[in-house]
Amino acid sequence: MAPLRCLLWLLSALVLALGPAASAGELRRPLALEALGEAEGLVGELWGAGLPGDLPELEPECRRLLAAFAEGSAALTDCLGSHARPVRLCQACHHHYRRLLEQYGDIARAVGNSSESHNCAKSILTSDRLQLVVTLSEFFNETWEAANCANCLKNSSEGLSNSTVEFLDLFNKSLTCFEHNLQGQAIYLSTNNYTEVCKNCNETYTMLNDLYNHLQRMNRQGGESGHSTHLCIDVEDAMNITRKLWSRTFNCSVPCSDTVPVIAVSSFILFLPVVFYLSSFLHSKQKKRILILPKRIQSNASLVNIQEKYS
Amino acid sequence: MANVSKKVSWSGRDGDEDDDEDECVGETTPLLNGTGPGAAGGARQLTPSSFLRIGQLSNVDLNEDVSELETELPRQHPNEIPHNEKLLSLKYESLDYDNSENQLFLEEERRINHAAFRTVEIKRWVICAMIGILTGLVACFIDIVVENLAGLKYRVVKGNIDKFTEKGGLSFSLLLWATLNASVVMVGSVIVAFIEPVAAGSGIPQIKCYLNGVKIPHVVRLKTLVIKVCGVILSVVGGLAVGKEGPMIHSGAVIAAGISQGRSTSLKRDFKIFEYFRRDTEKRDFVSAGAAAGVSAAFGAPVGGVLFSLEEGASFWNQFLTWRIFFASMISTFTLNSVLSVYHGNAWDLSSPGLINFGRFDNEKMGYTIQEIPIFIFMGVVGGILGALFNALNYWLTMFRIRYIHRPCLQVVEAMLVAAVTATVGFVMIYCSRDCQPIQGSTVAYPLQLFCADGEYNSMATAFFNTPEKSVVNLFHDPPGSYNPMTLGMFTLMYFFLACWTYGLTVSAGVFIPSLLIGAAWGRLFGISLSYLTKSSIWADPGKYALMGAAAQLGGIVRMTLSLTVIMMEATGNVTYGFPIMLVLMTAKIVGDYFVEGLYDMHIQLQSVPFLHWEAPVTSHSLTAREVMSTPVTCLRRIERVGTVVDILSDTSSNHNGFPVVESNPDTTQVAGLRGLILRSQLIVLLKHKVFVERANLSLVQRRLKLKDFRDAYPRFPPIQSIHVSQDERECMIDLSEFMNPSPYTVPQEASLPRVFKLFRALGLRHLVVVDNRNEVVGMVTRKDLARYRLGKEGLEELSLAQT
Repeated sequence: MAPLRCLLWLLSALVLALGPAASAGELRRPLALEALGEAEGLVGELWGAGLPGDLPELEPECRRLLAAFAEGSAALTDCLGSHARPVRLCQACHHHYRRLLEQYGDIARAVGNSSESHNCAKSILTSDRLQLVVTLSEFFNETWEAANCANCLKNSSEGLSNSTVEFLDLFNKSLTCFEHNLQGQAIYLSTNNYTEVCKNCNETYTMLNDLYNHLQRMNRQGGESGHSTHLCIDVEDAMNITRKLWSRTFNCSVPCSDTVPVIAVSSFILFLPVVFYLSSFLHSKQKKRILILPKRIQSNASLVNIQEKYS
Repeated sequence: MANVSKKVSWSGRDGDEDDDEDECVGETTPLLNGTGPGAAGGARQLTPSSFLRIGQLSNVDLNEDVSELETELPRQHPNEIPHNEKLLSLKYESLDYDNSENQLFLEEERRINHAAFRTVEIKRWVICAMIGILTGLVACFIDIVVENLAGLKYRVVKGNIDKFTEKGGLSFSLLLWATLNASVVMVGSVIVAFIEPVAAGSGIPQIKCYLNGVKIPHVVRLKTLVIKVCGVILSVVGGLAVGKEGPMIHSGAVIAAGISQGRSTSLKRDFKIFEYFRRDTEKRDFVSAGAAAGVSAAFGAPVGGVLFSLEEGASFWNQFLTWRIFFASMISTFTLNSVLSVYHGNAWDLSSPGLINFGRFDNEKMGYTIQEIPIFIFMGVVGGILGALFNALNYWLTMFRIRYIHRPCLQVVEAMLVAAVTATVGFVMIYCSRDCQPIQGSTVAYPLQLFCADGEYNSMATAFFNTPEKSVVNLFHDPPGSYNPMTLGMFTLMYFFLACWTYGLTVSAGVFIPSLLIGAAWGRLFGISLSYLTKSSIWADPGKYALMGAAAQLGGIVRMTLSLTVIMMEATGNVTYGFPIMLVLMTAKIVGDYFVEGLYDMHIQLQSVPFLHWEAPVTSHSLTAREVMSTPVTCLRRIERVGTVVDILSDTSSNHNGFPVVESNPDTTQVAGLRGLILRSQLIVLLKHKVFVERANLSLVQRRLKLKDFRDAYPRFPPIQSIHVSQDERECMIDLSEFMNPSPYTVPQEASLPRVFKLFRALGLRHLVVVDNRNEVVGMVTRKDLARYRLGKEGLEELSLAQT
């Protein structure tokens, strides 16, 4: 009985593997459903063990690579998702990303036993329409590119670059400063008056701002040959948050609006053309054109005259 | 007529000059016309003739009007009137597009064999390639210099504004900006006003006239090119509401004219090449190629360039010429593209085909649906109305400028004022705007923070604090929500008046980009309000409405049809936009033409250029050649006394260029049968080389005159005053039969005006002799005789000739 059941399972497993369209028939369906759980396990084992014959298969080496990739991408996704707001992608996930790149590289590249690896690349990356591994890897790459993380990592992408570390330190410092001053204030002030924060943290904020601008300028100069002019998203976002806090929430940057002189100067300048046109209208001599009377026959009578004269 | 009457009442004390010129003149210039109008006093004859002599000295090749006898002068009643649109200037001559088939020409043709003509054909292609390359390089030069200088200026001003925003004292930034603009524009205006006034404006009207057959003095000189290029750079850097695209067409034309002649008279260098092309006919063909190459470099639109030449310029067209022009256009855009790609650091991707790139319009959102077509047509109507308004205002302003601001210093001051005001308006708008947008993810070149929160920029500043080309592209492509409607509305309004005020200043600058910018701004506003009104996502992207608005506005102002459609289509790189753009431009043209004519035609008219349109006025069949022609005609006999020739040529009151040659007849009172036509330029060359019958008999002449001698003198024939003829030589005789054109075109006296017009226009004639049935010369029809009939608001009008 055991070999028979075994065969049945195998059949149903194959049916499942080949898809529901090729259903094995009405009668056997309950049985097949019943055995579903077991069958899956078995199929997994069978494929893992490497079925002989013409069934599609994956070498154990490739399986390992694929599993590693799956694990790596899960970890990276987790990291990306959890650091989406406030944005900390580049700081938090660059290890994951690098590892994933390596794993993908292992699959794609011919390492070790070249023929076998090549086989892996073929069977994992290009043997179906969906090409999920490729899609995933492309997605991560694009995200990384868009975030411009390479900008705040060291050239060999092993850790944050010095300027970024410096910036983040300063950023943390200013955040702490904000927090510190707000706590002190909240005790006796319920209104939106944040003058204390503005006064005390101005120095750190200005430094941060200057550093950011400096980084941006450096980046633009360096990026002359390349294409990107953005800093990496972590830095940009950090700066953005700080600026928003500073000028929106705390209302610290109150620019001097000197409306009166601006109005005075602009109305002076706007008044000049009026003077100019008026004076040129009144004083400039109007240009005259001298009419020249053309020589031509005015009427038929004169024409007759001329003809008579000539003939 | 409404415009004219408005203009009249506005110019105040002149009264109704159109109706009663004499009275008006009597009021305003009592010194000159003290005896009152109509009276033919002796003093009055002196005044005009002395004036004429002054005009003669300053500009030797004044007028080509048909000759009359000297004794006719007392018949004239010269009047002085203020400048108006119903004048034809004597300043402009015709070009000789008709080949003079004299014996020298036939000899040369016999001498040159078939193979030599093939080399001529190859040379034509070489010249076209060179035109393309050089035009592209000039465009690159302009682009790169403008980019760097404007970048420098904006960085300086931005640094200054950023500094003073914190500390206060923004009025200094305003002053700095205004002063920078004014001083840069001053330089640009000074070189135009004092060195080469013909380089002012976009140059398209001038090129249009040139291709029509009118010789505008200095228009295709090297000096003009240099001034034009520098002037454009300075006026764009100076922050005026102008573009650098229109002048490219002029630049291309000058380059073409220069190369095809193989020499530069400005530099006094003759490279001894391409001598065969030293004729007006050949030069004209190359100039149309140059204009096409200019358009092509400006917009990255080679086909549009060819069609521009076809639509605006060339009255004379054939298949091979089209193909050559297309070749020049393609070469031009390719040169620009490759050089700019190298400059921008990505050498092989060829991503910048024109000076302005509208950017890519091929994504999903930018598509249009069939329901949107009525909306586009409505935008065309708006564009037509706004364009007509623009033209009417500009007409008014140009008239004022011609009448009152004619001194170069005043013109420079005006340009400076406009520059300062442009900066001020920009500054005030930016200052007052509270439209802040997050700086992240935006592509703003010079973000101005001003009163926005940190990390945000002023949205008004993207429109005003930038070169106009960049602003146009921003309006096309910035994501929805980058501008709020208030900003766009104010911007449109201000820029409309600024652009209108700027066009016609004495700086070299084009009107294409400002028109596109105005249109893009209101188009975008229209798109935003549409999506706001319907609350529907179909109208999501305001970018395409910005494009349609830009097309509508430009079409409403310049009234070009075919070529503009293709230019826009090529500039967007999206063929499916062809249909809506065509509809928009058609509507704009129809609506605009209902009110006033196009900007270029208007300026041609205001310059009193004898421009021949495609057809004669429709109601003119009753006019015959007899009424149109000028008469009597100064004729030369086939063997003429040198003294007579010199006298006729140096007569200042009848500075004519073509003289019918009649059979030698001892009786001078009789007009004998027509034998040929000889031009002033030919006579001058003959006098210069002293080709007299007596000298030939004495075998003093070393060699026979060849066609080359005439070509070497082209195009600047020396004035008659510079040729010395001694008393003895005056008694010599000159035989014209070898040099005259033995078969000039003639018409009978009964030919109707449209018939004469057609012959004249289609063949590109300069002189058309009117003969009676015995082949005796009775009159002469020239360009000015035909151009003076025009279809006005109340039917056929006649323009008067005037000395300008």
